[in-house]
Amino acid sequence: MRLELTINGDPVRRDVAPDSVLLSVLRDDLQMVGTKWGCMTGDCGACTVLVDGSPVVSCLQLAAQVGGHSVTTIEGVAERGVLDQVQAAFVRNGAAQCGFCTPGMIMAVEALLDRHPGPVDEPLVRKELEGNLCRCTGYNKIIDAVLEVADLRAGDRACEHGHGGEPLTS
Amino acid sequence: MADVLTPTSVADAISMLGAHPGAHLVAGGTDVMLDLRTGRSHADSLIDLSRLSSQLSGIRAEGGRWRIGAMTTIRALEDDRELARQAPAIGEAATVLGSPQIRTMATIGGNLAHGTPSAEMPPPLLVHDASVELVGADGTRTIPLADLFVGPGRTSMRRPEILTAVVCDATDGGCGSVYLRQTVRWAMDLAGVGVAASVRVVDGRIETARIALGAVHPVPLLVPLASAVVVGHSYDPGLAREAGRLAAEACTPITDARGSSDYRRRVVAALVPRALRIAWLRATGQFTADRAPINGVLNEEGR
Amino acid sequence: MTASFEVVGTRLPKLDAPEKVSGLVQYGDDLQIAGLLVGAIKRSPHSHARILNIDTSAAEALPGVKAVLHAGNVQQRPYGFYGDNIPLKPDIVRFVGDEVAAVAAVDEETAARAIALIDVEYEVLPAVFDAYAALEEDAPVIHPERNLTSNVSMRWDFDHGDVAGAERQAAVVVEGLYQSPLAAPAPIETHVTIASYDAHDHVTIWAPIHMVFLYRKEISQCLGIPWEKITVIQPPVGGSFGAKIDIDPHDFITVMLAEATRRPVKMSFSREDEFISTRTRQPIHFRMRSGADSHGNLLFRDVDIVSDNGAYNGWGSHAMLVAMQTCSSHYRVPNVRIRCAVAYTNKPWGGSVRGFGNPQATFAVEQQMEQLADALGRDPIDLRKQNAYHEGDVTPQGLRITSCGLDECLDRVRKQSGWDERRGRMKHLRRGLGAAAFTHVGGGARVYGSDGCGAMIKLDDSGRVTLISGSSELGQGSETALAMIVAEELGIPVESVAVVNSNTDIKPWDVGVHASRTTFIAGNAARMAAAEAKAMLFATAAPLLGAEPADLASAQGEIYVRDEPNRRIGVARVARRRLLSEGGSAVLANAFYDPPSEPMDETHRGNYSAAYGFGAHVAEVEVDVETGMIRLLNLWTAHDVGRAINPMAVEGQIEGGAAMGIGLALSEELTVNHGRVLGANFHDYGMPTAVDVPRIHVELVETIDGEGPFGAKGVGEGGLIPVPAAVANAVADAIGVRPSQYPMRPWKVLEWLDGASELPTVMGPTRG
Repeated sequence: MRLELTINGDPVRRDVAPDSVLLSVLRDDLQMVGTKWGCMTGDCGACTVLVDGSPVVSCLQLAAQVGGHSVTTIEGVAERGVLDQVQAAFVRNGAAQCGFCTPGMIMAVEALLDRHPGPVDEPLVRKELEGNLCRCTGYNKIIDAVLEVADLRAGDRACEHGHGGEPLTS
Repeated sequence: MADVLTPTSVADAISMLGAHPGAHLVAGGTDVMLDLRTGRSHADSLIDLSRLSSQLSGIRAEGGRWRIGAMTTIRALEDDRELARQAPAIGEAATVLGSPQIRTMATIGGNLAHGTPSAEMPPPLLVHDASVELVGADGTRTIPLADLFVGPGRTSMRRPEILTAVVCDATDGGCGSVYLRQTVRWAMDLAGVGVAASVRVVDGRIETARIALGAVHPVPLLVPLASAVVVGHSYDPGLAREAGRLAAEACTPITDARGSSDYRRRVVAALVPRALRIAWLRATGQFTADRAPINGVLNEEGR
Repeated sequence: MTASFEVVGTRLPKLDAPEKVSGLVQYGDDLQIAGLLVGAIKRSPHSHARILNIDTSAAEALPGVKAVLHAGNVQQRPYGFYGDNIPLKPDIVRFVGDEVAAVAAVDEETAARAIALIDVEYEVLPAVFDAYAALEEDAPVIHPERNLTSNVSMRWDFDHGDVAGAERQAAVVVEGLYQSPLAAPAPIETHVTIASYDAHDHVTIWAPIHMVFLYRKEISQCLGIPWEKITVIQPPVGGSFGAKIDIDPHDFITVMLAEATRRPVKMSFSREDEFISTRTRQPIHFRMRSGADSHGNLLFRDVDIVSDNGAYNGWGSHAMLVAMQTCSSHYRVPNVRIRCAVAYTNKPWGGSVRGFGNPQATFAVEQQMEQLADALGRDPIDLRKQNAYHEGDVTPQGLRITSCGLDECLDRVRKQSGWDERRGRMKHLRRGLGAAAFTHVGGGARVYGSDGCGAMIKLDDSGRVTLISGSSELGQGSETALAMIVAEELGIPVESVAVVNSNTDIKPWDVGVHASRTTFIAGNAARMAAAEAKAMLFATAAPLLGAEPADLASAQGEIYVRDEPNRRIGVARVARRRLLSEGGSAVLANAFYDPPSEPMDETHRGNYSAAYGFGAHVAEVEVDVETGMIRLLNLWTAHDVGRAINPMAVEGQIEGGAAMGIGLALSEELTVNHGRVLGANFHDYGMPTAVDVPRIHVELVETIDGEGPFGAKGVGEGGLIPVPAAVANAVADAIGVRPSQYPMRPWKVLEWLDGASELPTVMGPTRG
């Protein structure tokens, strides 16, 4: 089956097995191994990517259905090596330990913050991340990172000053 | 390796279903793709309904009823403000179904058509007097939602037939509903017990009441014998407990990893009175929060 | 306290965090290797059976299958404690999942089809799934080759003092049976092993494991491969928690497949495989009696322990070591009697999972502390403080307590939680507070011949320092901590330090990551190596600055004369001067640190760690008494970590451990039905989500250990250890019944409320 879609802003055309799931198209057909898997049953969220800005578990996402749509993966978040606000906040707050759940977690956070551009409280953040299991952090510092970005963005909207990202390499 | 067929109209989809006996419909895919992966089912081909999204999605109030397109995502149900106001049980069930990722993908049609006894959406829809539209080669038929479920994983849908819409009560003032459930974890778990209740209050008395149970019977179950107990009265804890007892007797839960049948009956008996109380408080304007606590425990006193 | 340090004590983001948040880290399953074959395993569907015949002809004939292996066509020797295991089973299979045959094929689908085509004929044997049943005389014998009595793989017995006499003196005695579940460490990254032979019969193995050197040795001994022909590389690890400590049959099998095909082979576990056939946290059952005098002094502890360790020994058989230590040495107990039996059963077998027997033992000990306190009318935290160890004490098992902040930890959580005002006073809300503390090793654990770790440092012309440590990073932040220690010791910015986790050909020896030992032992080795490097630099810098080496100090990348800081020179420049001169030399330093601890003797006495870690938690719960649902409202923790090299990382470890403990306490259990693991998926195995875990409050107590690097002690397991006990105590406070087991699932809560289960009983004053 010929799959045509946009991934991280780029057009992608690929022949894939018709019943492929999006995860295997990304990892096996396109060698985009930034997206991880932890269960293949949609329960851990490690494979989370965005389809048209909304979070899906790519291990259950029939790839054929995203033809013509726009997919964002972890590889598409940093801009030429410059971490975005969410990534920088994760780094600053110690929100990644082993890092295996992190790509999926970050995609879920990006979606969360787009869905809730206003103030967010901790219960809301936890609820929006209920589909992303982390075995290392106990979630505390992930929540801290999210609340920090939400605050930053509230500040951005208030003062209309931009906050740049931080460079990838130190 | 299965083929994927991509209909662009309902008629297309129906004829494909007819032409491919080994084909499975895929809406959001969260149940079907999982079944295929775990070997619970096998498909020669997949009929991808995603191109029918725009035709079959939408939450609209029409003539005193809500019409929800079958391809409406659970997320859309979670987000709809008007639905939350008028049929809180439906929004509440949508909120606890799976995860944000699952809710983005999953559809109400898929949740109903899969026929899982513990599915979240049936009990709240049942207490809102839902019916489903099924379109087949011969035309459209509408059946009460309760008649859709035949057994665990089995529905009364014929082949070829597609569930295209759910229609249920659009309630105005004087009505309240709620969805409660018992789980082990506070997120991501399937319901061990699901309870939905709705009441219509007129002149301070319950005029109609519905109670529906999930995960405690081979199919989602309305329990009219239980709800009849509270009709004609204002809310009364004793009657509510009696309704709970009758509801517990009416269902036949299994024993599995989520609890024994005895335990589940006990939980039904506990959650039904809580559900009736919250439905009553909503109907009488005394409880206005969007979402009730999922186990129905309301106040500081722990009751 | 840390004001005098440049780097140590700062909240430093992990050095690899930018890569992790960008999806750039390549874990085992991400590695792209040309010509990679897929390995798969044929597993026993029976819990106990004799293999009568294996027919692999159909599998071999399948196009794309490159090798089919079974015990009949491989070279392998028994391995594991008492040699009770072997990669491909020649005759007896002992649990559902036991490895019988293996294939290597060109892709996953072919491998799966080949596995299905292997035909194995079994004679089913009677099986036993319950540890107590396995200990009966007439139980099916699981390891006849060991000539054991009643499936007892090992016994661990300990006596100290006079328990019977002490009981006669006791004013209060409590007794109970406490049970813990079969649980899974379940890191998000499943097991993956890749093996590849080169043209010199040299095999390279990639595996995200804890113990590369022990792994290499086992591969050599089991498969008969010369030691020097094996290289082990640890790719980045996606979590382990002990799951990846044991070497497992699939590791050997992957090497065997690579040898048979002479192509790289990858064995990657599905989540189902991970649950069914990797190491578990074993159920351990404690029948415990303890007593105190009327003043509240603990007098005795009498414990019978049965560990249900499953079909093989693995490291799980040694969890008793730690469980025993808690029973003998958590609080001052002058009279102790412990009897442990490690039982074989026909189930998935136990590994060395985070806490390693301590959470299970603490669940018993800490509930009994509160029961004793309640019986005496004393506050439970006061009772703990009264019986806590202090610096200088020696426990019945010979553990020498050096730095000890247990007292302080108890005070902190008491304060944070509002204990005095609220405990015992929220029953009308069905809310409760429960405390629990723990003692654990914090300075290594001498369970192997050496408890040491090596470190090598080089500093070349760029001024960049490279540390090659024997230890490895599992995601817990050890590399960052080591970089910080080296940076602090050398007086350079931490950005100038690269920590390279290389392979077994290059890195110096380390026993491995376990027992929360890495910061302490690898940290000391790194510090020693850094000190040696600094001495070399000072020796070169001294004449350049017209001073003696003893007059020098370094900070922020510069070496200066302490009393005249204007006389300074950059570290990189010094290194270049040393190198780029006639008869010059590079800065190359190394050290091997083996801690001042001793192995336990035959009576189980010995100070087997060079320091001990302590901590205290208070949990707050609310119980729905009609459904039994427990909501964890708060968890306050205080941990004595010696010194927090990186407080952010230390908090992260505690918070993560606590979340795991919450899962154990409330929702995690592997259901086994007639030996078959049910619900081998994340749907049914309830790991806590962000909604299940409250904000975990962490306070760090720094007792500045005399032996640890900059005073640091181990912390990796502490966050988890007391959580099930704290939650149980909170439930008891809320609703007046004692959880005798965990996970405390809703139907169990109702059972306890109904009084149906065997409840720990409190006895009144005894004679005397």
